[in-house]
Amino acid sequence: MTASNVVFAMVIVAAFGLFAWNARRLVAQLQLGRRDDDRWNALGARLTNLLQIGIFQKKIFRDSVAGPMHAAIFWGFCILTAGTIEFLVAGVFTSFSYSDFLPDALHQFYTVNQDIWGALVLAAVSFALFRRITRRVKRLMGAETHPNDPLLILSWIAALMLTMFGDNAMELIANPAGAGHAWEPISAGIASALSGTVSPHTALHVGQGFWFAHAALVLGFLNYLPYSKHLHVVVSLPNVFLSDTSGPAKVGVLRAMDLEGDVEVFGVKDVEHLSWKSLLDGFACTECGRCTSVCPANITGKALSPRKIMVNVRERVEQRAVEAGVGLLGRKATPPSTANGEPPTAHSLLLLDGYITEEELWACTSCRACVTECPVSIDQLSVITEMRRNLVLGESRFPEEVMPAFESMEQRGSPWAFDPSDRAKWAEGMNIPTMAEMAASGEKPEVLYWVGCMGSFDDRAKKTTVAFAKIMLAAGVRFAILGQEEKCNGDPARRMGNEYLYQMLAKDAVGVLNNYAVTKIVTACPHCFHQMGNEFPQWGGNYEVIHHSTFIEQLMAAGKVPLRQDLHEPVSTFTYHDSCYLGRYNEVYDAPRETLRRALPVMNLVEMPRSRDRGLCCGAGGGRMFMEEHVSEGGKRINAERADEALATGAKTIAVACPFCMTMMADSIKSRESDVEVLDVAEVVAGRMVVQ
Amino acid sequence: MKIAVCIKRVPDQDVRFKIAPGAKSIDEAGLKFDLSDFDGYAAEVAIQITEKAGAGEVTVISLGPDAVQETLRKALSMGAHRAVQLKHDAAVHDGNAIAAALAAELKAGGYDLILTGRMAVDTQNRSVGAQLAEKLGVAYIGAITQLDVTTGMVKARRELEGAYELVECALPAVLSIDEGIARARYPSLKGIMAAKKKPMDVKPAQLGEQRYTLDSVELPAERAAGRIIGEGADAVPELVRLLKEEAKVL
Repeated sequence: MTASNVVFAMVIVAAFGLFAWNARRLVAQLQLGRRDDDRWNALGARLTNLLQIGIFQKKIFRDSVAGPMHAAIFWGFCILTAGTIEFLVAGVFTSFSYSDFLPDALHQFYTVNQDIWGALVLAAVSFALFRRITRRVKRLMGAETHPNDPLLILSWIAALMLTMFGDNAMELIANPAGAGHAWEPISAGIASALSGTVSPHTALHVGQGFWFAHAALVLGFLNYLPYSKHLHVVVSLPNVFLSDTSGPAKVGVLRAMDLEGDVEVFGVKDVEHLSWKSLLDGFACTECGRCTSVCPANITGKALSPRKIMVNVRERVEQRAVEAGVGLLGRKATPPSTANGEPPTAHSLLLLDGYITEEELWACTSCRACVTECPVSIDQLSVITEMRRNLVLGESRFPEEVMPAFESMEQRGSPWAFDPSDRAKWAEGMNIPTMAEMAASGEKPEVLYWVGCMGSFDDRAKKTTVAFAKIMLAAGVRFAILGQEEKCNGDPARRMGNEYLYQMLAKDAVGVLNNYAVTKIVTACPHCFHQMGNEFPQWGGNYEVIHHSTFIEQLMAAGKVPLRQDLHEPVSTFTYHDSCYLGRYNEVYDAPRETLRRALPVMNLVEMPRSRDRGLCCGAGGGRMFMEEHVSEGGKRINAERADEALATGAKTIAVACPFCMTMMADSIKSRESDVEVLDVAEVVAGRMVVQ
Repeated sequence: MKIAVCIKRVPDQDVRFKIAPGAKSIDEAGLKFDLSDFDGYAAEVAIQITEKAGAGEVTVISLGPDAVQETLRKALSMGAHRAVQLKHDAAVHDGNAIAAALAAELKAGGYDLILTGRMAVDTQNRSVGAQLAEKLGVAYIGAITQLDVTTGMVKARRELEGAYELVECALPAVLSIDEGIARARYPSLKGIMAAKKKPMDVKPAQLGEQRYTLDSVELPAERAAGRIIGEGADAVPELVRLLKEEAKVL
């Protein structure tokens, strides 16, 4: 070992030591959060997520331009890390080389990969820099981003690649025989291009320069990471593994709060009330903006940006960490600036109000577009919901128009102030038994039809209810309804943060259903469908819950729905609008489309640009149905944005499978000169039935 | 400042009522009960006064069967400090009897301010507040829409037809609260939890004399269904004819 080997060994130890010290601090920062969130279950499913979303970059490829670009950098980074290890070890033990213990063929494969991927990474980061500087990609911009950070990082990676090629090429010029079995076509190309002008002696010295520069860049990069959004290099894969946004369990199920427990703070007011996993989400965010670019609130000019939520979480964690003595080396407290320049108060430092405003939180439609889009499986929605919980349960702060909905749910078992005794009025004269009537005669239906509040009271939605009931009657399904025993299952309350009211209603509903020993439920409301199928198990309600689109499709597949056979009608053009709680929450995309196709064999079904898991919310989810939509200048109503998209397809009918979507779409269509119809899939089918 | 708020438990008004057998009362089966709206505003006003001052105590008081405890609890969860139930199981209609029971409880309490709602939204009698003031021998201002409490004084605003008046009086006083002054807050879970630990006294109601009795209750006649005459300009002559000849409003 020479003296320079020893010095380099000390430099490596120092660099990795500093990184380890900061990494320990980052772990301590995660521990500021709630620690009762276990993510070490279902390891097989988590490993699958890690492979699909992490290693194979499944979500990254959802963007056809940035996808291949990022994948090249990521895969290149993984492959080149092997070379970096060899490079660092060789800095200490000069003669070290993988060729010492790899078979020749394998070593050749290794070297050519280093060479080719180096070039691919260089090309990808050059394109990324070019794109950032000249293309002004909308999703990469935003007040909450740190625009210089990516420019520095991309340049840094480019410099890493250039110094690597420089080092390799110079070595090939200095010692052409030393390459052995290595096959480095690109480095060799550079070497042969330069060999006329650079002598072997000069190459030796220039090569050393490249070597030192590369070493400095590698070790510097490592220690820059914790201070940069580029920390995602380290955190993303663990984050994908530990995330619940693509399983292992049902997605979109909210945490059941212990309301009897002796807690000081309900929901989230500051970062220590968030799960440690949400804090990790903050570290994993690299501000790519895919979430914000698909957010219906953000698209239409509202204050919410899901990316800002995560950036704020990280900023506040960094701030809290300094206060708690676990800040990164050299990190100082930088409190958020107050709007009017006044000095911050204790309250204005908290995540709620200090960083994230009430207005942002209430703008969310809980559509899950942000969560679905995030390439590193961040859960922005859980932060938003937990903060809504604090606003409602802790401080009783919410848009005033929500109050009647809360009160009515509590008083009348429906978010609208309808008389509960009118709940089953739509069924008058249809000869549909209630569960009570069936139980009285010792019978049990094969399925309970859960009508839902909209389906029971809303004049437009009642038409869907009747249509679906007629289909079931015609198909000979033995079903019953709860009638006046049906009450809101609490889902809107839960989505709006009112977990107390939600649990009251949900437990009541489970009690009624269990009392009749219900096992199978069908409903035309995707919100009820999600709530009862996926969240009721939290209260001991375990049922097979089916959405009416799936149920009708099954009936039709079995040939039980008597359809007219007149196929000479003109071809009609349809488009189908995906409901968020049916689609992204439960992955029911095909059943409603298949239902339409079976009902209308000659139909022309055109898709909107944003459909299936990219579908744009109608604007009513997350309790937005009960709130005023404040449209800012240059902004738009969410339902108008969606209706524009639907009308642009040229469809004559917009099919929906959700009473909330129905209201939003129909309202927007009604407000313009258009003869386009909005129909529920059940109405389409009922309209094609043989009149009996 | 010690404030008392008299509140009443009333059925939810947004339903169709049925008359109970005997026609002496409504059928309470399936009805949901809550704090009377105006009493909710009164409780909110009282709570805001103590919150703003950072001192003081709000006592809510209600007359009725044990069911009123739920209503009292709601006011406690909004932020009132303690509650008193004046227990009486049968329905009482005469404001005089109720005011006497309230006065018996409130006279020795040392209250600076006593608030009631402008009226109970179910019976709409508007008689208790004024009678209570009379029995306590203090000033009364009815149906106020703005309130400013200073040391020993209140200034209040009352809405009149097309005008308003500003009045003031010395404390103690009884004020009845109209809408527009404050919306009753939605109790936070924190408030609901805290309310479980707040004191609730139960005392027998010392009712005054009931000088009138309720004879019978009836539902109003159902409104006839509307009629669609036609659409567009063609329907106008017929509409005008009907307004003249049938409705006789033109």
